[in-house]
Amino acid sequence: MEGAADSGRAAALARLLHRDCTRLLQLYKEREDFLSQHAPGGERLVTLALCPEAPSTAEQVGHVRSALRRCMELLECLIVREVEEMGEELQGEYESLRKTVKDRLGHLLHSTGALLENGEGGCPPSPPKQCTEDEVEGSDSFAAKLWTYRVLLELIHWTDSASQTLHVFHTEKHGQQQLL
Amino acid sequence: MQGWVTLALLLSLGAKRSLAQNGLGEPRGLTLNPDLPAQTLSLAWQSDSTLFDLEIFHTEFMNVVLNATVEVQADPVTGLHSWTWHSPLPLECTSHSVRIRARNQQSVSQWSPLQTIPGWDIPEKSYMFPEDKMIPVGSNMTFCCIVNEKEDFKEIKYGRQEMKATRLSRRSYAITVTNQPASDNTGTNVICSSQKFQILTGTVVFVGYPPGDEGLVCETRDLASAECSWKKGRDTHLRIKHSQTNYTLNGRDCLEANERKTWCSSKMWEENWTLEARNPLGTVQLTDSAQLTDRVHLLAPVNVAAVKVEAWSATLQWSWSVAAYKKLEMVCQLRLFAHELSSTRNYDGPGLSSVVLEGLWPDVDYTVTLRCGSKHSFWKWGDESAPYRIHTKMDRPDALDVWMWMDSSNTGHVFWKPLSVRKSHGALDGYEVSQSSAEEDGRNTVSLPPGNFSYPIILNNSSDVTVAVAARNPAGLSQPSTVTTPAYRADSQLSVSELLGTNGSFVLSWEPNVSASSGYVVEWFPTGCTGHCPIDWKKLPESDRSFTVNSDSLVAGVRYTVSVYSLSTGAPTLLQRWQGYSQEMIPSQSVSELSLNQTGSDVLLSWKATEMKQQRGFIRGYTIYLASAAHLDLIANITDPAVQSYRVKGLTLSSYKFVVKAYTSAGEDAGATVAIKMEMDTADMLFVGILVPLGIMFCCIILFSIFFYKKREWVKKAFYPEIPGPKVSGDWSSPRGPLDVKPSPHSLVHIVKNPEWDFTKEGLFPVPEEEEESENDNMEVDTDSDEPALLRYYNQVVGDGSHSNQVSDSSASSTASMGSTQTEITYAGIQSPSSSQGAYSGGGYRPQMQSVTGPAEPQIEFEADFQDDGLNAGYKPQCSWQLDSPEAENFSGSLGSPTSVTSSQFLIPESSEEKPQPSNTWFHNFLSGKS
Repeated sequence: MEGAADSGRAAALARLLHRDCTRLLQLYKEREDFLSQHAPGGERLVTLALCPEAPSTAEQVGHVRSALRRCMELLECLIVREVEEMGEELQGEYESLRKTVKDRLGHLLHSTGALLENGEGGCPPSPPKQCTEDEVEGSDSFAAKLWTYRVLLELIHWTDSASQTLHVFHTEKHGQQQLL
Repeated sequence: MQGWVTLALLLSLGAKRSLAQNGLGEPRGLTLNPDLPAQTLSLAWQSDSTLFDLEIFHTEFMNVVLNATVEVQADPVTGLHSWTWHSPLPLECTSHSVRIRARNQQSVSQWSPLQTIPGWDIPEKSYMFPEDKMIPVGSNMTFCCIVNEKEDFKEIKYGRQEMKATRLSRRSYAITVTNQPASDNTGTNVICSSQKFQILTGTVVFVGYPPGDEGLVCETRDLASAECSWKKGRDTHLRIKHSQTNYTLNGRDCLEANERKTWCSSKMWEENWTLEARNPLGTVQLTDSAQLTDRVHLLAPVNVAAVKVEAWSATLQWSWSVAAYKKLEMVCQLRLFAHELSSTRNYDGPGLSSVVLEGLWPDVDYTVTLRCGSKHSFWKWGDESAPYRIHTKMDRPDALDVWMWMDSSNTGHVFWKPLSVRKSHGALDGYEVSQSSAEEDGRNTVSLPPGNFSYPIILNNSSDVTVAVAARNPAGLSQPSTVTTPAYRADSQLSVSELLGTNGSFVLSWEPNVSASSGYVVEWFPTGCTGHCPIDWKKLPESDRSFTVNSDSLVAGVRYTVSVYSLSTGAPTLLQRWQGYSQEMIPSQSVSELSLNQTGSDVLLSWKATEMKQQRGFIRGYTIYLASAAHLDLIANITDPAVQSYRVKGLTLSSYKFVVKAYTSAGEDAGATVAIKMEMDTADMLFVGILVPLGIMFCCIILFSIFFYKKREWVKKAFYPEIPGPKVSGDWSSPRGPLDVKPSPHSLVHIVKNPEWDFTKEGLFPVPEEEEESENDNMEVDTDSDEPALLRYYNQVVGDGSHSNQVSDSSASSTASMGSTQTEITYAGIQSPSSSQGAYSGGGYRPQMQSVTGPAEPQIEFEADFQDDGLNAGYKPQCSWQLDSPEAENFSGSLGSPTSVTSSQFLIPESSEEKPQPSNTWFHNFLSGKS
């Protein structure tokens, strides 16, 4: 029963995190209102191209966790860049929620890691990137704004994916324990 | 054709030859060196000339962006000419081409070959320039968007504003923004979008202000180092880190300063200070200059503590965190906070670290804060210490303020005022009341709880009683306050003066009294108060002669008794007493028992005054109104309040409503109402019911009399026309016999049978036909004929002189024919002359009168009457009819007819010759004007 409860909590946390990320993007659009009028193009920042096939739900959870781990790297880089750019002085709702998302994303990574006992479904680690040089395409402020937008989109996408996958995982886990 | 070509070649060769002959060589070695962030293009070339023509193009469309002639000297060292052009457009936006030629007045050399710097519209990618530019508010700027090869350009937006773009090249578009406003925190976005509303590219521009800091002030906290602070100026709107303002103090970086922290420190004091604030848009310098001793700003004292606390004083100690303070001549300000006892005290001395606080109050919680400053060249108070709490010890209470109030001959109360915090010196445990008299030894002491402020006393005999009251708290008992029973009564009706309030207060003054060795007491309480009255008093020194009872202790509309007593060793002595209102109000209740009593046409209103509590002011009088439907009519204003009745006189029979209002100086009350319906009394009814109609009738008679007298001629004509006298011609002494009269056929004579005919009357009467037949057989009477019947009268005197008293009328005349069985004659319309026949003896008209006696007698009387007529010229119609009237024959046919005839005409026409005989009645005389 403990495993089902953990998966349930992880699924709930993923749902909560998805709402946080959606709100975070909304706040960012309010600050940079051109994003509400135009859709920036560009490729996906987080893909599972390197991940093997994932026929089982547990493996899918592993894949999602790998994506979330990459999202965490991007979010940390985003925070570093924004603090470097704007300093610590701005402390509005966006900055507060940004920190909350980072903390909850860390908890979700931890809890999903605990669910995967054998580390199944893990993807090969992506090559390390320097935050300020490699991650952001372009060094100007406008490029950084577009990149931030894309990072927030990735967060929304993968937390939603994690929420759904963990819900399925929890349902299966719960069903198995019922059978036992 | 070949000839023209040859001519052109020759001219061309000629021109080249002329240029060569000018000696102006073409500039050589033109090089372009762009500075992209600065948007400048530096040109360098070699030439012997100093004046040059320059042309700069946008290469792709060959649009000329500069065409100028400049004078440029060659560098003496390198021999190069150099010139810099500032481009309004970022040089990356498109390729630029430059050519140059030398000029000497009107002679020019050939153009140098075009030199081109490529723009960024060549690679296959989208760009926007300039990037992350920082510019001052209000400046103009041109932005360009380089569109990717496969994209369709749509628009460029500056913030939310869509701008008009111009095309620079096949893939490059530009907008120019003027007078740019300040940016938001993250800059102003400039977006280049495609037809599909997708973002092609964009850039951010940061529009703000240069630093606006001001007011640099440096001071020392430790008598060695310096802390400089300044005020932040206007917002620069530059938030990103590399655009924020940087500060240097005397050339040293001030890293702690930022947008919110506007101070900077230096380890050593310098007399002159310069702060430089710099951001990408500008620099500002602030300076300050001062001696260290002039800028001492002490830190807060630490370890503040009270080492000795008494009831009235305390000793406070503290220490300093900076050792250098110990030698500094300083002044310290100590602030004491307590409920209603706050104060500020200053102490000074070198390195001050303790003070004795005098003048504290016992049993009071004080909060102490302390701050100090340099005594010499005081700059400002230092930081304030943390609050420190001191609670002083208790002390015995102060003496009570005691007064005595007698509410009857042998009972009263001793009152005392509660002690304030300043006087109680600690929470009171209670009071001790002791009572003594001259005739009794010893004292009776009673302890009372702290909530009591009075004590009842009872006098057993006529001697004065002295009462002593003392307050007690944990520190001890206060000095007792004594009061002796006064030889007066609180409600005694001594000479009381009226007292008028002034602005809600009582202003009192009195004559000095030699016996007031201990001063005076002013006492006031609500008049008529019984039981636990709110007695208030004030003790005054003997030098006082006046006192004002403030409105705080008085209630408007309440009558107060105010007394002044002199205090001496014995009982207080009443000096003066008043009664008054601090502020008069209108009575709260109307007069009572309002009644009325009718006496004839008068009404007596009476009432009683309202009770004193409801008067709320001195009653100055009463107003009496007569109330109508819409308003009140003032009928009386009684200014004497003792008068409580009023008589309303002369009222007619109607309903009345009276309103009586009492008034004070503040106005009238609502009023009491009484109504009455006036009724007539017996005497009036007698008068009105009998005498008045009689009087009216009498007046009418008088008026009619006067009227008829004035109009007597008219009345006479209308009602008593003169009857013409009969014409008497010929011999009236006809033989006795029946007089036959033939009535005129036109006379309306109605012969009626009157069974009540009065046979006592005398006059003409018809002779019964039976008698006529017997006496005049030869006379034929046709009763059926239409001719009037022949009336037969006896020509005889109706009566002698005595017949004047006989009354006859027309009816009597008409009934004279009652004896006939055939006719009844009524002379309707003939005014009865019979009434006048009595006035004249034998005179007047007596046509058909008959005597009550037998038929023989009238004949005699009638004859006699005719004899008198000669004297009286009376009316004797029968003679004329039969003898003289020419119409007698015509009438004779109708006389004696049995037909009823009514005549509206007089039977006897008026004669112009014969005047009618006037009536001999008084009325007739009256109408005739005879006396």
